[in-house]
Amino acid sequence: MDVALSRNGRRIMRVFFALVVVFLYAPIVILVIFSFNKGSVPTFPLTGFTLHWYHEFLTNSDMQAALKTSAIVAAISSVVAVSLGILASIGLSRSRFRGRGAVTTLVLVPLVVPLVVLGISLLLLFHALGIQLSILTIAIGHVVISLPYTILILLPRLEQIDASLAEAAYDLGAGPFATFRRVTLPLILPAVVSAFLVAFTTSFDEYAVASFLAGSQQTFPLFLYSALRFPSQLPQVIAVAVVVISLTIVVIVAAEVWRRRVETRLEAA
Amino acid sequence: MDVEGEPFDRRLSRADMLRLAALAAGAGVVAGPAAAADAAIAHLTKETGRLQVMDWAGYGNDGGQAMFAAYVHKYPNNKPQFASPMTNETNAYGRIRAGAHPDVFRPYVGWVKFFAQSGLVQPWTPSLISNFKHLNPFMVKAGQYGGKQYGIPDDWGFDAILYRKDKVSPKANSWGLLFDERYKGKIAWFDDLEMITIAGLYLKAKNPWNQTSSELNRSVKFLKSKKHVARFNWSSETDLWQAFGSGEVWIAYAWPNDWVQMKKKKLPVVYMHPKEKPIAWVGMFMLLKNSPRPHLAHAYVDAWSSAKSGKWLEDNYGYGHANTQAKPSSSQLLKALQLTNPKAVTLPNAYLDRDIPQRSTYANLWEEVKRA
Amino acid sequence: MTQAAAPAPRRRRRLKLATPALLGLPVGWLVVFLIVPAVIVALYSVNELSLFPGPHSFALGGWYRLFHSGFMSLFWKSAQMSLIVSALVVAAAYPLAYFLALSGTRRKYILLLLLIAPFLTSYLLRVLAWKVILSDGGVINTFLVWVHLQAHGHSLSFLLYSRFAVMLVLGYVWLPFVALPIFVTLETLDFRLLEAASDLYASRLQAFLRVTLPLSMPGVVAAFLFVFIPTVGEFVTPSLVGGQAGYMYGNQIVDLFETGFPDWETGAALALFLIGVIAVLTVVFVRFLRIGEARAA
Repeated sequence: MDVALSRNGRRIMRVFFALVVVFLYAPIVILVIFSFNKGSVPTFPLTGFTLHWYHEFLTNSDMQAALKTSAIVAAISSVVAVSLGILASIGLSRSRFRGRGAVTTLVLVPLVVPLVVLGISLLLLFHALGIQLSILTIAIGHVVISLPYTILILLPRLEQIDASLAEAAYDLGAGPFATFRRVTLPLILPAVVSAFLVAFTTSFDEYAVASFLAGSQQTFPLFLYSALRFPSQLPQVIAVAVVVISLTIVVIVAAEVWRRRVETRLEAA
Repeated sequence: MDVEGEPFDRRLSRADMLRLAALAAGAGVVAGPAAAADAAIAHLTKETGRLQVMDWAGYGNDGGQAMFAAYVHKYPNNKPQFASPMTNETNAYGRIRAGAHPDVFRPYVGWVKFFAQSGLVQPWTPSLISNFKHLNPFMVKAGQYGGKQYGIPDDWGFDAILYRKDKVSPKANSWGLLFDERYKGKIAWFDDLEMITIAGLYLKAKNPWNQTSSELNRSVKFLKSKKHVARFNWSSETDLWQAFGSGEVWIAYAWPNDWVQMKKKKLPVVYMHPKEKPIAWVGMFMLLKNSPRPHLAHAYVDAWSSAKSGKWLEDNYGYGHANTQAKPSSSQLLKALQLTNPKAVTLPNAYLDRDIPQRSTYANLWEEVKRA
Repeated sequence: MTQAAAPAPRRRRRLKLATPALLGLPVGWLVVFLIVPAVIVALYSVNELSLFPGPHSFALGGWYRLFHSGFMSLFWKSAQMSLIVSALVVAAAYPLAYFLALSGTRRKYILLLLLIAPFLTSYLLRVLAWKVILSDGGVINTFLVWVHLQAHGHSLSFLLYSRFAVMLVLGYVWLPFVALPIFVTLETLDFRLLEAASDLYASRLQAFLRVTLPLSMPGVVAAFLFVFIPTVGEFVTPSLVGGQAGYMYGNQIVDLFETGFPDWETGAALALFLIGVIAVLTVVFVRFLRIGEARAA
C-alpha cells in the first residue's frame, strides 16, 4: 500500500477527503437547520425553533399527492427500465454478433443527451402523436434516462456469472424462462435490486424532463420548483425534503451494503 | 336561445328545451333565474366529471381553495382538478395545442386578443355569472373582443417600482430608477418581454406596446447597455422577497403585494408609481372551445368572482380582485392598490396592459437582451 | 424436471434465441423514444413540422438565426463554463478516488458511498441551500461580518447571481458522481505494476506520473465527459442562481419553447446543435480512449 501513498500523503488525503465531505454535506445540514426555523423565507438570521413545518406536511394534501405521483412514476419507470435492462444485458452478454457495438452504443446514448433536449424532443413526439401528457409520459422519459444505468449495473454482473451454470441447467432440460428464473435471476438479484434503486431514485428526483412531460399531476420535484416560486409552501417543502433526503441516503447505503454482502456470499458458493 | 347561448344549444333537443323551460319557470320562483338555469341545465345536460382547470401556481389545491369553495360546496361531484400549473401563457398555449384539455385557464389581459383569435376559446355567457355585475367595468371591457366576453377578470395589480428609502434616493419618480447607474448591482428586473415595453415607456415611444422598428432598436440597445446594473431578472416572487429581504437588491420591478410583504419584514420600502405611469395587469378566466363542462365552468368562475373570494384573495395573496365590493383587511394594501379609485387600472392613473401585435418580435428581442 | 433430452438441437436453438429477440424490446423502446423524437426535433428545426397551424414548408430560418443572432457566443460562454467546472471537478475528484482505491482503507466502499450519497438526494433543494449560503444575508457574508473581515452592510455580491455561483453549484452537484468512474478505473489497477516501479527505484511521484495516471486516463476522460455533457446544457441551476450574468445556452432553449412567444423552430435548431456538438465530442473522446487502451495493453 505504501507504493501508492506515503504516510504524509495519506494524512493529507484524509484531511482533504474530510474537507470534501464537509463541503458536500454542509448545504444539506443547512436545509435541516432551516426545516426547524420559524420564519417562512429561508434567510438568516434564524427566528426560532419549531416543529410546525413537519406537522404541516401531514395536512398538505397537495404535497402528499405530489409525493404519491412521484412514487408511482418512479415505480413504473424503474420496473420497466430494469426489465428492459435485464433483457438488454442478457442479450449483450451472451454472445458476440454483428452490430453488438452499435447496440451497446445505442443503449448508452441517453447518458450523453442533455435533459433539456430529451425533454423537448419527447414533448414534440407526444405533440405530434396527439398523446396527452400524463404520469405515463413522464415515466416513459424516465425509462430512457434510467436504462443506461440499469445496463451498466447488470451487464458486468451477468458477465461475471459463470455462463456454464446456465448452460448446465439448459442441458438438464430446463426451458429458457425456467433457466432464467431459477439460475440466472438469483445470481443477479443483488444487481437487479441495485439497478431498481438507482432507477427509482433517479426518477423520483428528476425535474428537467418531468417539467416538459407532466400532465395534470405534478411530481414532487415539480411541486418543489413551484414551491420555490410560491413562498408560503416553502418551509413545509424543506421539511419534507429533509425527510426524503435522509431516507434516500439510509436506503441507498443499506442496499449497497446488503448487495455487496450477498454477492460475496454468492461468489463463495 | 340567443346568440350567446349557441355553444350549449347543440346539446339540447327540443324536448329537453321544453323540459328545461318548465323547470326554469318553476325553480325560478324560488332560486332566481340564473341559479335555476344553472342547476337545471347542469342536471339536464349532465355535465359530468371534474372540472379541468389550468391555473397559475398557488391558485389551485395548493392554497387557493378558498376562492372556489362555494363551487365545491355546490358541485361536490365536479370538484376542480388542477393540471400542472401554467408557468406563463406561452406554456399554456403550447400545452393546449399539444392536446391538453382544460375547461378553463387564466391568461392575463394582454393575451385576450391572442387567444380570442386563436380559435381555442369560446366567449362566456355573463348572464350565467351572478357576480358579473359587481366586476369592475374597465376590467370587464378589457376582457372583451369583437363584442364578446372572452375573459372574465379576476385578480389584478400594478407593475411599478419598489425601493428601499433608506438606501435609495431617486432623481425622479420614474421608470428610470430601474436603470440608475448609481445603484449598479442592486437592481432587479422582471424576466419578461415586458421590459421592452417598459423601456419604450421610459424612452417615450409613441405606443410602447407596438413600437416602430426604430423605437424597438432604441429600446433594445438601451436595455443591453443597462443590463449590468440589474443583478438578476426575477420570475418568482419568492426570489424577489429573498433578495430584497437579505439586502441583495434595493430596487426592483414589483407588484403591490411585494411592497406589502417587505413592509411585513419591517423594511423601509416605498412603492413608487412612476410618472410615465405604471402598468396594470388583470387575470382573465377563459373558457376552452370544446369544453364538455361549460356550465360548471361558469359556476366555477362565479364562485371565484364573489366578494368573499375577492376579500380572501386580497387578504392572503395581496393582489386586487375585480369585484368592486371586495375590500381587504389591510389598509396598506388598500392604499397600494388604490382600491378606493375604481378607475385605478386605466388612464390617467395607469396603462392597462394590452395586446402586443408584434409579440414574437418582442420575445426575440428580449431573448437577445438576455444573451447579450 | 429431468428428461432424457437430445442436447445438440437444443443448443443450436438456444444460441439463436438468446440475442435478437431479447434486444428487440430495449432497442425498440429507444428507437421510439429517443431516435424518433430526435428526428422530429430536426423536422421542427427546418419548419417541416410547426407549432402553429397553417401552411408551412422547408425553411432554414431557424438555422440562420442560430448562427447569426448571438446564439453562438452564448453557446461558447456556456461551453467555457462547463469546461472549467468539469476540469476542476475532475481534478478534485481524482485525489479522492485515488485515496479510496489505493490507500488500502478497509472501509473504502462505505466511504465511497458517503461521497456519492448526496448525488442521490434532491437536486433542487441542494441548489436552494446554496442560495441561502451565498446570498448577501447568508452564511458566508454574515460570517465575514462577524469576524470583522467585512464591514457591516457590505457583502461579496459576486457570490450569488453570477457565473461564479453557477459554476460553484454545478461543481458541487457533480463532484460526487465524478469520483465513481475514476475510482473504478483505479481499483482495477494492477498493484504489481506499482510495486515493480518501486523495485526499480522510482519515487511515488514518478510511479504516479508514469504508471497510475496514464492507466487511469480512460476513467478520467469518462469522468470529464460525464460532467461536461450534462452541464453544457444545464438550465435549472442557472435559472436559480445565475442571475443576469449566469444565463446559459440551456436557458435559451427552454425560453424559446416556454416563454415570451414560442419559437419552436429556432429552439429545435439550438437543441440539435447541442446534440451535434456532444456527439462529435463523444466520438472523438471514445476514439481517444480506444487508442489509449490499445497503447496500455
